[in-house]
Amino acid sequence: MRVWAAWLAAAACCWSQGFSHRGLLDTRLVAYPQTAPGDSGRAVAESLLRYEAFYRISPRWQVAGAFDARADTHHYTQRSWGLAWQDRTRRRPAFAARRMSAIYQRGRLTAEVGKQFIRWGKADVLNPTDRFAPRDFLAVVDNEFLAVNAARLTYGSAADTLDLVWSPRFTPSRIPLLNQRWLVLPEGLPEGLRLRDAGSRFPGGSQFGVRWNHVGSGFDSSVCYYEGFNHLPQIDARLLGLFPLRVELESYYPRLRMYGGDAALPLPWFTVKAEAGYFTSRTRRSQQYLLYVVQLERQAGEWFLVGGYAGEAVTAGPSSPGFDVERGLTRAFLARAGYTIDANRSLALEAAVRQNGKGAWTRLEYSQAWGQHWRSTAALTWIRGQPDDFLGQYHRNSHVSVVVRYSF
Amino acid sequence: MSRTVLAFLLAALAAWGQDARAIVEETQRRARSTSQRYEGSLRVIDGRGKITEKRWRYDRLGTAGHSKAILRFTAPAEVKGVALLVVNHPDRSSDQWMWTPALARDRRIALQDRATRFFGTDFTFEDLEERDVDQFDFRLLGQETLEGALCWRIEARPKQKKISQYTSSLVWVRQDQHVVAQIENYSKDQLVRRLRYAEFEKVEGIWTARILEMFDRRRNSRTIMRLERLQYNAPMKEEDFTLQALRREL
Repeated sequence: MRVWAAWLAAAACCWSQGFSHRGLLDTRLVAYPQTAPGDSGRAVAESLLRYEAFYRISPRWQVAGAFDARADTHHYTQRSWGLAWQDRTRRRPAFAARRMSAIYQRGRLTAEVGKQFIRWGKADVLNPTDRFAPRDFLAVVDNEFLAVNAARLTYGSAADTLDLVWSPRFTPSRIPLLNQRWLVLPEGLPEGLRLRDAGSRFPGGSQFGVRWNHVGSGFDSSVCYYEGFNHLPQIDARLLGLFPLRVELESYYPRLRMYGGDAALPLPWFTVKAEAGYFTSRTRRSQQYLLYVVQLERQAGEWFLVGGYAGEAVTAGPSSPGFDVERGLTRAFLARAGYTIDANRSLALEAAVRQNGKGAWTRLEYSQAWGQHWRSTAALTWIRGQPDDFLGQYHRNSHVSVVVRYSF
Repeated sequence: MSRTVLAFLLAALAAWGQDARAIVEETQRRARSTSQRYEGSLRVIDGRGKITEKRWRYDRLGTAGHSKAILRFTAPAEVKGVALLVVNHPDRSSDQWMWTPALARDRRIALQDRATRFFGTDFTFEDLEERDVDQFDFRLLGQETLEGALCWRIEARPKQKKISQYTSSLVWVRQDQHVVAQIENYSKDQLVRRLRYAEFEKVEGIWTARILEMFDRRRNSRTIMRLERLQYNAPMKEEDFTLQALRREL
């Protein structure tokens, strides 16, 4: 904490064109009309204070840092004062370094070391190739990205960019908590079953990825390779006792190798975007599969429209229990529409509908800015479907939310 | 006799066309600089008179047709860090990418999307690219006084390789300073947007309008941009105008 305060003070002193900062204070209220098994709560309130700063030390060196402070009413956030440097906890840390990296740039070479955001892929709703982008899925459908600890080397000309990433320490996605509404247990489990969260078994090795992106005349395309671990876990269940029936659940993160690619091709009426990844694994009980997304995109006047399909093809391996939201969103039609009413107001609609009709998720959002700093957003999330479907299992989690944000 | 008159008329028309191009070429030559930097202070006034204020920082490297520009929002706070990279080409429309910090992603702006307004202003993505003389056919329509200054009135039609939301533009060039004073953009003979230049001042030997006012006729809204801290020929580096630079946020 003292380090952070010193860094902030130093940054404030160096106010100049080489310094930039921004922040927000976000207060969110989520109301669920229905209770869920194991969670009788109908309302959650959350607050987030975020501060981000960028400072150019010299023409070649730059540092970037971001800090989050959180609180909520539903124990999504830890009730402790420590500053978290890594996102490995089940709950969100109350105080966390969201980003902390140093950037060196010389000619066509850019190197970034530290906690940073790395995004790959071109599709919008689902990105199979986005392997260095774990997310916070505590409330599955309202998620945000987590930074990873990595060294990234980018060498690029105007047309071609080579991106090398090495991450020495694994960052998992944050998954729904036991005894909370976003963890839905399979139907038909015996009554009186007691579940114990045995935590996570984190892999010890590093991750590596390489991506080559080509910007052509009127199109972009890339190919990429990733060797590491899936940031979404599989679950091991162990029987602890029969009377009463007690089961222990432990998350583990299987090895993953990905061969992927993406492309964006603007045509006269719309832009075609496609992204695909083929995944193999050396971990037993893991499948080999292909994930792909094809979407059409068009911006017309004040409208922004995206429609597409996310598919999956399993080529080998057994199915294992786990939390795989990426695959849960496949075999589905995806859509997004946005309408800008005026400079301050906008409407957005997002939807995912499984092709077998067993699950659907829709989100309608209205957002309005008030002056230079304030924005309020009201959203309705509607989830329908069958309990045996990834989306459908959350059918009791439809909700309305109101967010008030002060940006500074 | 009639053939002589026709030949004369054709020659006159050709010369008229040549003149228009020469005027625009001269205007472009006089505005030439190796780089440009300014801070834009924008007031967006919508059809109901509601005012929204924004600021951006603009850096351009290179000269007309061969330039790259980065535009970064500095206010309001909620769009701070949003940036646009424009790579202009002499023979075709520009390439554009937008960086959104909240998503930590860049997105290529497709050609067919360039008619979209840029972040709630009355400028479209296309309006933010450079208008190079080689991308248009010109025709001198006459002379006209605009706000007390005698101007050439020139019609500009985009060549086929230049994909544009506008079918034609009328350009007013001041005869005293050889600077553009106004541009009216048309789509199928309907006025869509009017860009007015005002408060001309000589900065480092280049006559420059300190105020640009874009009027969107369909929405009846306008954006007034004031250029502050304007600099020409400031040292800039090629590597600060790439997708990697866009992500660095400074």
